[in-house]
Amino acid sequence: MTGDTWDLVASSIGPLLSGAIRGTIPLTLISFAIGLVLALVVALARLSRRRVVSGVARAYISVIRGTPLLVQLFIIFYALPSFGVVIDPFPSAVVAFSLNVGGYAAETIRAAILSVPKGQWEAAVTVGMDHTLTLRRVVLPQAVRVAVPPLSNTFISLVKDTSLASTIMVTELLRKAQEIAAPTYEFMTLYSLAAVVYWLICLVLSTGQSQLERRLDRFVAH
Amino acid sequence: MLRTSHRLLALPVILAVGALAACSSGDPAPQGEGSADAEVLRVGTEGTYSPFSFHDTDGELTGYDVEVVTAVADELGLEVEFSETTWDSIFAGLEAERYDVVANQVTINDERAAVYDFSEPYTVSTGVAVVAADDDTVTSLDDVAGLTAAQSATSNWSQVAKDAGATVEGVEGFTQAVTLLTQGRIDVTFNDDLAVLDYLKQSGDTSVKIAFETGETVEQAFALRKDSELTARIDEALATLRADGTLAEISEKWFGEDVSQ
Repeated sequence: MTGDTWDLVASSIGPLLSGAIRGTIPLTLISFAIGLVLALVVALARLSRRRVVSGVARAYISVIRGTPLLVQLFIIFYALPSFGVVIDPFPSAVVAFSLNVGGYAAETIRAAILSVPKGQWEAAVTVGMDHTLTLRRVVLPQAVRVAVPPLSNTFISLVKDTSLASTIMVTELLRKAQEIAAPTYEFMTLYSLAAVVYWLICLVLSTGQSQLERRLDRFVAH
Repeated sequence: MLRTSHRLLALPVILAVGALAACSSGDPAPQGEGSADAEVLRVGTEGTYSPFSFHDTDGELTGYDVEVVTAVADELGLEVEFSETTWDSIFAGLEAERYDVVANQVTINDERAAVYDFSEPYTVSTGVAVVAADDDTVTSLDDVAGLTAAQSATSNWSQVAKDAGATVEGVEGFTQAVTLLTQGRIDVTFNDDLAVLDYLKQSGDTSVKIAFETGETVEQAFALRKDSELTARIDEALATLRADGTLAEISEKWFGEDVSQ
């Protein structure tokens, strides 16, 4: 490590953080929020008694989990334009990541709903609640607590997966690192720095996860 | 309990709104909408290939190709708008009409000319083979057979390496290839002599060296979609810039010599 390298590290931190704040973080938050709503809908569809509804949900999950995220990104960004659908880079990435989270998180949510003891449903019915009300006020709050650890996994994976957006013209953390590395030829330094920034973001998220788990413990029937 | 469940359902919404607010100031510049805009020359380039297309210390996109294409746009009275993408996706982006011109040292060859339009060349260079500094076994194309080379999958250098009988590993670009070379994971990489000379100059790297020149002159030009109405106009602008010395001037600035012809 020469003095020049340290100067480069010092001068790169700002641009890298800006790449994280303007690219990686919004990409993660928006995609996760949309993906979560999608996942809840898909999970409920999977649990539906109607064959068609659960079949569609099953097919969607199967495609998302059975194809590489990078390929999904490329299809949305490079292949859709040949059908006249041209989506800008950032929204393309959001669409791809949301669909991806929707597929993975749907299974998590479905499992969490099924993990709530049957007695809870029965008890709710005896006090005169209908299906929707039971789901909303008895089952989901308990399911949420069960779903937090695996959903946090999905969330943390998503932070790192957003680096794939660098391949479709989105300037996020990794792309910023490559931009700085190119004229200086200091790829090792910049990739390591980018890794540290990713790691810091994930550390913050892990802390948030622990706190969220503690708060949600109140909803669990003991 | 009622309030709680509402809050649970509201959580994703709050997240989304918060995230949108966070990025409203930081959205990347919108790309053009599919068709060639009369006012704008939409250019695809790597942004990580110095000295042709890269970001300077202020984060500004610059380089030989960037300046040439900007001069062309000025000549045509157009605004220039850059989209940056990796080399291996650069033609996919051109076909998907994400931009109308590729300015990234695209070497003219038959395979490409069959599929794309090329402007008149604005760079003439030669191919070189780069090896580890202590490797004296590679002195000509004949020595490359059976060796392992690293090239970006769709570059013309990849074909050069294949034709010479090398096994080709795919990498992102020249700098990654050099890293693999210094780590002893590959034996050779081919590239444009201008890119290689710039690398040796900028990085001060003494662990690799130019083994030999491939002996063929290659010409680089702007690539456009087949039958683009822009090709003729760009050629005209290039001719003007060549005649008035602008091209030579830009070339001198980046390479200390005129590589534009």
